[in-house]
Amino acid sequence: MRKFTSDWYQGDREGTHGRSNHFHEEPQTSHACRGSRTREDVATPPLLGQGASGSPLTMSMDFKTYVDQACRAAEEFVNIYYETMDKRRRALTRLYLDKATLIWNGNVVTGLEALTNFFETLPSSEFQVNMLDCQPVHEQATQAHTTVLVVTSGTVKFDGNKQHYFNQNFLLTAQPTPNNTVWKIASDCFRFQDWASS
Amino acid sequence: PQGKRRCWGTCRRRYYNLSGQVSSGSHLSFQQQQDGNPATSYGHADTQMRYTPYGIPPYHQRGSFQKRDLTIVNMDTKEKPPERKTERKRQEETLGSWFKVTIPFGIKYEEKWLLNLIQKHCGVPFTPVEFHYEKMQAQFFVENANIAFALKNVNGKIYNEAKERISVFVEPCDAPHSVQKELRSAKVAQIKLTLNKPNEGSQESLDLQRLYFDPGMATAVNLGQGRAEGSAWEGHSVKSAWEMDKGQRLGPDEMCADRNRLSTTFPDESSSIRSDVPSDGQETPPATHRAAEACQRLPTCKGSFFGSDELKSVVLQFLQQYYLIHDYGDRHHLLGVYHDEACFSLTIPFNPEDPDPIRFYEYLEENRNLKKLKDPHLRVQLLNHTKVDIVTYLYVFPKTQHDLSSFVVDMWFQTETMLWVLLSVIAVEGRYQGCVRAFTRTFIATPATSSSLCIVNDQLFVSDSSRDETESVLFIPMPTCSQQEMVCSFSITSRMNFQKWMDEPPSQK
Repeated sequence: MRKFTSDWYQGDREGTHGRSNHFHEEPQTSHACRGSRTREDVATPPLLGQGASGSPLTMSMDFKTYVDQACRAAEEFVNIYYETMDKRRRALTRLYLDKATLIWNGNVVTGLEALTNFFETLPSSEFQVNMLDCQPVHEQATQAHTTVLVVTSGTVKFDGNKQHYFNQNFLLTAQPTPNNTVWKIASDCFRFQDWASS
Repeated sequence: PQGKRRCWGTCRRRYYNLSGQVSSGSHLSFQQQQDGNPATSYGHADTQMRYTPYGIPPYHQRGSFQKRDLTIVNMDTKEKPPERKTERKRQEETLGSWFKVTIPFGIKYEEKWLLNLIQKHCGVPFTPVEFHYEKMQAQFFVENANIAFALKNVNGKIYNEAKERISVFVEPCDAPHSVQKELRSAKVAQIKLTLNKPNEGSQESLDLQRLYFDPGMATAVNLGQGRAEGSAWEGHSVKSAWEMDKGQRLGPDEMCADRNRLSTTFPDESSSIRSDVPSDGQETPPATHRAAEACQRLPTCKGSFFGSDELKSVVLQFLQQYYLIHDYGDRHHLLGVYHDEACFSLTIPFNPEDPDPIRFYEYLEENRNLKKLKDPHLRVQLLNHTKVDIVTYLYVFPKTQHDLSSFVVDMWFQTETMLWVLLSVIAVEGRYQGCVRAFTRTFIATPATSSSLCIVNDQLFVSDSSRDETESVLFIPMPTCSQQEMVCSFSITSRMNFQKWMDEPPSQK
């Protein structure tokens, strides 16, 4: 079953060591570019295959690199997102696109202003993530922008409420700058696993 | 070593025949069943004690329980000395005397098959309570020392189809969770001061409402109450069920981002509703007071959310057809619904203290939880890519049963051009061998035509189901009539649409 999809994957096991310097950078080094952005930004090194004009990644880039980039973005994102949610709640909306939409336990919240109000009124939180997965979203569904699907799960305790298991997914879109790629949330879907008994 | 682990999963898959069905009985090459007492073999005895927050009187506690009931089961006669009778009567008014029955490696057997086998060899009829699988074991509870004794004697007398002996161990225990809960609810109802407050706990029944389903055959069971039968395909009944579902679960209040209009429920029992009206006669309380109250309120949780009415029926039909094929049809037909270069991955939760939980054994090798999986090479490998890869994998996936009416669906879409539709499904999944799991499935699809969707990304997260979910789930078998026709027509239609989508470049709207 575990066939190698050799069309995409050209490398071998040693291939990971031979990658370009772009992918040797650890997530922390992206913070060195702090001068051009805020602390909450989710940033990764510039995407391979990305033109200066921000044209989408072409499929000629090998699948492995595509996946690597998505994973890097997802891990960086999840670290920043939940820490911001728990400890710097007011800064959370900076991670969202202007027209982003949040569906929170079946309630829809659209646009930065509504999101700001929403997060302000949500009680303080303590998140614990025990599952993370991500996939690059196919170009056919995104056309204009490189997008990554991020899926998380874990537990959350909101102040004054009982602990819940939660499931969440995000669509992150890439916004390239000369020095790096900044990822922002286009959509966010959150639900308690036991929402019906909440 | 990773090489060895990959082999296990591959071997596992070989046990499935072409139709994707699983034969009952032992076909998994686990270690031979051990003959030891489960408490010593697994060392779990202490950790299986249930948390009893409402307190059990001392004579119910494990120590004294054990001593007393061992005496009872060792007696040859069914008659009990008078003082024992009194004690038992006192217990029965409260929690009764309970025993836990454990079948090591019971996870290999289907619940009904196993219980029938045990009953055949057991001298007295018994009612199993809270039958469930825990790690590799099957467990259930019985109330009554005589029954426990009779079940204990079944040990050594029953065998599976491979002629391996099946062990049965019995030990005294606290009342099972559902029984305690019912008792607790009854007590709470008695002392409650509020009038006419519906008590959900008292509605609970100890009967397990499970439908047993023959693999490969859809035994249509009429559940009454308007459940979907032949009309499921038209979508009407299922939609009705979902509408009803949504209506039942919706709170009367709507979420509003405006803080002043936040209306909420109080999921935490300890929080109380405080009056908004201050004593000084002002219309609105001071902002700080109000803010302090509001800061702990969560928005009301609502049922399924469909971002677009237009897409709602398309999405419902898509899910119906997807799971119909997945559960009852040939999964090869799913080729028609995936994009050529679609992605699929699967995860289970990560607990550092139990990184490879046995209860998820069929998923361990495919688990792409990035919290656990750090090897970049494997991270690529475990992402199924291309529809052929995906469907090949799904084809050997264990047999499942989904209750569509239990699905909670959140749907959003790319608003300008509807390039993508995102579906987040949370539900409970039933399995052939009886265990029930919770799952969350995230699909990203592009419209293939105005009436069908094509999946480009698919993520499945499987986790444990809470007991409440287990008890409330009813699995609806689909009817056999015209099933094959419907399956075929779906796949053909989808392939045609899919082809059309691939031929035409997507238009800018």
